[in-house]
Amino acid sequence: MIKIFLILQFSLPPLPVSEVVAKDVPNDAGGKIQIEWELSPDDSIIDFYTVFKQKKIEGQWSEPETLTVVRSGTNSLTDTDCKDGVEYRYFVRVSKGEEFSDSPFSNIAMSSAQWFHKKRASVLILLIIIVGLLLYFIQKTRKGEELFIRKIAGLDALDEAVGRSTELGRPLLFVLGLGTIADIPTIAGLSILKRVSKKSAEYETDLIVPCFDPVVFVAAQETVKEGYIEGGRPDLFKEGNVFFLSYDQFGYAAGVDGIMVREKPGAVFLQGYFYAESLILAETGNSIGAIQISGTTAVTQLPFFIAATDYTLIGEEMYAASAYLTKDALSLATIKGEDWVKILLIAVIILGIIFESIAFFTKIPWLHVLKNFFTVV
Amino acid sequence: MREFFERISKIDRRIIYLLVFIGVTIPLLTRKGFEFKPLQEVETAYNFIESLPEGSNVLVSIDYDAASMPELQPLLEVMLRHLFRRNLKVIMLGHWPLGLPLGQIALEKIAKEMGRKYGEDYVFLGYRPGIAAVILNIGKEIRGVFDVDYRGIYLDSLPIMRNVHNYSDIALLIGFEAGSVGDFWVQFAQARFNQKIILTSTAVVTPDLYPYYQAKQIVGLIGGLRGAADYEILVKKKGFAYAGMTAQTIIHIIIVALILIGNIGYLAMRRVR
Amino acid sequence: MKKEVPLAITFISGFLLIVALFIPHEPFGSLQERFNDWYIIVSGFTLILGVDSLILYHWRKIKRKEKEAPYSIILISTFVIVLAWGIYSGVKYGNPFAPASSFLRYFYTYMFVPLQATMFSLLAFFIASAAYRAFRARGLNATLLLISAGIVMLGRVPKGEEAAPYFIGITLILLAIVSVLEGVSRVEVYEKIIFFGLAVVSIIAIFPAAWFLKFNLPRLADWVMNVPQLGAKRGLFIGIWLGAIAMAIRIILGIERTYLK
Repeated sequence: MIKIFLILQFSLPPLPVSEVVAKDVPNDAGGKIQIEWELSPDDSIIDFYTVFKQKKIEGQWSEPETLTVVRSGTNSLTDTDCKDGVEYRYFVRVSKGEEFSDSPFSNIAMSSAQWFHKKRASVLILLIIIVGLLLYFIQKTRKGEELFIRKIAGLDALDEAVGRSTELGRPLLFVLGLGTIADIPTIAGLSILKRVSKKSAEYETDLIVPCFDPVVFVAAQETVKEGYIEGGRPDLFKEGNVFFLSYDQFGYAAGVDGIMVREKPGAVFLQGYFYAESLILAETGNSIGAIQISGTTAVTQLPFFIAATDYTLIGEEMYAASAYLTKDALSLATIKGEDWVKILLIAVIILGIIFESIAFFTKIPWLHVLKNFFTVV
Repeated sequence: MREFFERISKIDRRIIYLLVFIGVTIPLLTRKGFEFKPLQEVETAYNFIESLPEGSNVLVSIDYDAASMPELQPLLEVMLRHLFRRNLKVIMLGHWPLGLPLGQIALEKIAKEMGRKYGEDYVFLGYRPGIAAVILNIGKEIRGVFDVDYRGIYLDSLPIMRNVHNYSDIALLIGFEAGSVGDFWVQFAQARFNQKIILTSTAVVTPDLYPYYQAKQIVGLIGGLRGAADYEILVKKKGFAYAGMTAQTIIHIIIVALILIGNIGYLAMRRVR
Repeated sequence: MKKEVPLAITFISGFLLIVALFIPHEPFGSLQERFNDWYIIVSGFTLILGVDSLILYHWRKIKRKEKEAPYSIILISTFVIVLAWGIYSGVKYGNPFAPASSFLRYFYTYMFVPLQATMFSLLAFFIASAAYRAFRARGLNATLLLISAGIVMLGRVPKGEEAAPYFIGITLILLAIVSVLEGVSRVEVYEKIIFFGLAVVSIIAIFPAAWFLKFNLPRLADWVMNVPQLGAKRGLFIGIWLGAIAMAIRIILGIERTYLK
C-alpha cells in the first residue's frame, strides 16, 4: 500500500496553485505589481514555483516570460519591473522534478503612481497639530507673553565648569561624539559648544575641540570662532585647537583619551551622539579629576554617562539647550509647543491602552481604530 | 575602623582594574569552566544545521569588524568547523568592508584545517556597497551582484557556484551581526524570499533581534559570548567562548561584590558622619 | 546675503523632504534618496578638509619641536606610507585593498585589529570602576537602581543564581545592622519601632529571598529588562523624538542657526 502511494506521488504532476491575484502596489511611485496566490496543496513536497508574466502590446498578449523562481512556502511576490499604464497578467507554475502544472491566468493588472501615501495620513495629521501648536505659541510670545522653562542643572553648570577650569589654570575639552552634521544631537551639541566657547573667551581659557567627522569639524571651527567673537575676544581664537582627529571610532576614543591624559582639562563636555566609546571617554575624564557635563540622545549610552559624569543632559534636555541658554522667545515657544504635544500623546496612549484592552476581551473590531490609525509603513 | 570603612568606600581604581584583569585572564588561560545548559534559541540553531542535507549551500555574512572580534570571531570559527564537518558548502560575503578580512582569515584557516578546497567546498565573494540592494538582488540572481569572486574569478567557473542562483538554492543564511545589517537580512531575505536565517550577534545587538526569533522569522539566535559558549557546548568542543563565559561570570560577581563592599563603606561612613 | 542663502536652502530642502514623505509620486518619491546621494558626495570632499587639518595640526607640533613631536612624526609617516601603498596596490592590482598586497593585510591584522580590540576591551575595566562608584545607596531611587543592577548582572550569567543567595544574604544582614544602629540613635518610640521592625523583617526575609532568587533569578532578570527597563526606554524615546521634531522645525524655520556662521 505504501509502495503504491509513493509511486502515485512521484508520477503525478503536483497540484497547481489557485487564486492568483495581481494588483497595483498601493502608496508607491508606480512600476510595481503585487502578485499573491494560494499555495499548492502539494507545497510540502514540491521543488519550487516559477512565476510567469505576460504584457499586452498593441492589443496582443506577449510570450510569457519568467519573472522569477521562488521556493516552496512562498505565496507572494512583487514585480518591480512594470511600466505604468501597461496591462499585465501572471500565472504560477508548480514544479516537482520534471513534472509541473500551471495555474490559470491572474486578473489583468496595471501599475500606477499615487499622489498621496494613505498609510501616512496619521503622520500628516500629527505633523499639522504639532506645527500648529508651535506656531500658536510663537505667535503668543510675539505678543510679549513670558514663557516658563524648568531648571536644567546640567546647563546651569556649564558656566560654573568653565569658571572652575579657569581657576585651576587648565584648558577645556569639548567632544561632539560620532554624529554627523545630519544628526540632530550634533547640532544641539554645537549650540552648547557656542555657549562654552563664548565663556571660554570671556575667561580667557583654552578650548580644545577634537572632531570625528570632517563636516562637523568645519562647523565646529565656525561655531567656536563665532563664540569667541560674541565673547569679545576674537584675538584669542586658536585655529589649531579645533581639529579633525580620526574617522575611526576607537581611534577617535584613543586620541581623545590621550588628549585628556596629557592636557589634563579642568572641564570635559561630552555633547552629541555617542556609541560604545562613551564610557571609555567618561571614565578617563573622571580619572583626571575633570568636572564633566555629558549629554546625548543615545539611550543605550545614557546609563554610562549618568554613572561616570557629574551632570548629564538626558535626551530632550539637550535639544532644549539652545533655547534654555539664549532664552530666545521663539525657541522657548517651540519647547512649550512640544510639551503640549507630549500631553496630547500621553492622552492618546492612555486611550489606546483602554481601547486595546477592551478589544482583547470583547473582540470588537472597531476598537482597533487607534492602533490601525497609528500603524504607519 | 573609620579608616577601614573609608578605604573600602573609595577603593583605588587601579585595584579594581587589577581584580578585573585577574578575573578575566585566569579562566581564559586555564580554560576551566563549569557546566551550564545551552539556551533554547541556540539549541534550535544547532539542530537546524544538523538537519540540513549534506551538500547544502550555506551563505555566511560578515557584518562586524575588529572591535567585535573577541565576541564573534571564536563563534565564526566554531560554526565554520561545524558546517564543514557536516559537509555543507560555505559561501561567504559581508556588509562591513573593514571586517571582511576577519571572515576570510577564519574561512581559510578552518578550510585548511578540515582539508576543504576553494571553489568546490567554499567560496569567498567579498563586498559590494549598498546593503539592501545587495540582499534584494541576490534574491533575483546572485551574479547580478557578484559576477566574480574576490579574486576576480567568474562564478560560473567555480563548481560550488554553478547551481547557485538565488535564495532558493541557499538552504541557510548565517549572519554575524554587530550592527543593524541583521534587520536587513530579516526584512528583505526572510520576508520577501522566505530564506531560513540564523543570526549570531554581539551582546549589545541581541535584544534587538529577539523579536525576530519570537516571531519565528529566524530559525535560531546566538547572542553574545553566552550564545557562543552554548554553541561550543553543543558541538562538544569547548574553546575560547566557553572560557570567556566563565570569565564573564566571574567579572559580574566581582563587580557585584565590589558594589556591595563600596556600599558597606558608604553606609558606615554616613553613620560616622 | 551670507546668512539668507543658507537659510533659504535649509528651508526649501527641509520643506521638500517633509512633503516628499507624503507623496510617493515622482519626482517626490525618490527625493530623499537623491538628497542622501548628494550629501554623500559633498561629505566625501570634506574628508580632504579633515586630512588637511590633521596633517597641519601635527606638522605644527613637529615644527615647534613640542614634547609630543615624535608621535606626530609617526602619525604623518604612517599616513604617507599607507596612502602610498594603497595607491601602489591600486595601480598594480586594481584595488587598494587587494589581498595580494601583503603589506595592507599585514597592517590590518597586526596593527589595526589589535588596536581596535584593545580600545574596546578597556570597557571591561571602565565598567567595573564606574559601577563601583556610581551604584551607592544614596536614596530610594539609587537603591532601587542598585538592586536591579545586581539582579540583572547576576541573572544574565550562568551560575549567577547560585551566587545570588549569598549576596542577598549579606545585603539583608547589613540592612538589619544599619536599621538596628539607626533605631538605637532615635529618640521617638515609633521611630525605634519602625527601624527595629525593619531589622527583624530583614533577618526573617533572608531565607525566603535567597530561596526565591536561587530558583527565579534568570526570570527576574528578564522581567527587569523586558518590563521596567523597556518601558522607561520607550518613554525616553518618545521624549527624544518629540524634542527632535521641535528642533528640526526650529532649524527649518531658521530659529536655530548655531550651525551657521
